[in-house]
Amino acid sequence: MKRVTGSDFLEALRDSAPVMFGYIPLGTAFGVLFQSLGYHWIYAPLAGVLIYAGSAQFMAIGLLAASVSYAEAFFATLVLNSRHIFYGLSVMSRYPARGLSRWYLIFGLTDETYSLITARPPESPGNVRYLVYLTGMNQSYWVIGCALGASLQSLFAFDSRGFEFCLVALFLVLLIEQVRTMSKRWLLAVALSASVLVYLLIPKQFLLVAIGLCLVTLVVYVRTGGEHG
Amino acid sequence: MDNAQLFGFFVVMGIATFITRALPFVALAQVKSHYILDLFGKSLPPMIMVVLVCFGLMSLEIESVARGGLSALAFLIVIILHAYFRHPLLSILAGTGVYVTGIQGFGL
Repeated sequence: MKRVTGSDFLEALRDSAPVMFGYIPLGTAFGVLFQSLGYHWIYAPLAGVLIYAGSAQFMAIGLLAASVSYAEAFFATLVLNSRHIFYGLSVMSRYPARGLSRWYLIFGLTDETYSLITARPPESPGNVRYLVYLTGMNQSYWVIGCALGASLQSLFAFDSRGFEFCLVALFLVLLIEQVRTMSKRWLLAVALSASVLVYLLIPKQFLLVAIGLCLVTLVVYVRTGGEHG
Repeated sequence: MDNAQLFGFFVVMGIATFITRALPFVALAQVKSHYILDLFGKSLPPMIMVVLVCFGLMSLEIESVARGGLSALAFLIVIILHAYFRHPLLSILAGTGVYVTGIQGFGL
């Protein structure tokens, strides 16, 4: 992203705006579905506050409907979200070493937040405050969406069909930004090949396996001394 | 499941999610500046972004030629606008606008 003058807050607001257009409709969809379980609507935004993971929350509706145990919910969530293990590897050096902000930033590391953070030049001034604003804003959009969907589900006439494209466009724009500063562009071909392969073979575990393959390629590349050859 | 149990259910799922996000930070806490971490910081994100773009395309559930064409058009609009203007919000909103109009206005 380009650097402009202005406070960290305004910069985070500008950068996170595309996430707002993706998270509010998606959170709304969660809220509407959650209401089919028959709980008070306040529990939908509460899920957004406590869990804050889109796919896990949609899975939670199914798990709750099937009355699974806490242990089953715990392991199902670990498996579903296991791709997040790879995300920390790339943002570790940008995160503060200690303090509450460190743990909140880790808690809020969603696909979209990860993408926005890694698209920025490293070590920008005002880094930590910007990161906290950005992460907090993204979570707010999500929680607001959950609340809207659950509280207004019957009144909700807003047609959100098609808004899912917003997150595709966000990833695409951030990819273009990252490619500009990338030195080893052949790695993109590896990532694309891995994606196509996993899509054809194991689409149900797409994110975990495809990202895992990318990581394995990088590690093999380093181990075989590719960097120095 | 009563309200208190539902709350506990959310906490359990929240802890599991947090564990997946925190694992590398805890496991590699002693690694300060390492070549491989640097590589993960620079080269892994664009690779993951390729995977996420593909995942996003999968989630569009393209099942007809018309929907495929609309997706391709919106996709190209994002690329072209971003190549020329480099303004993220403009590229994203224009592409999404075209896609939403195609779906809601023209029933594609």
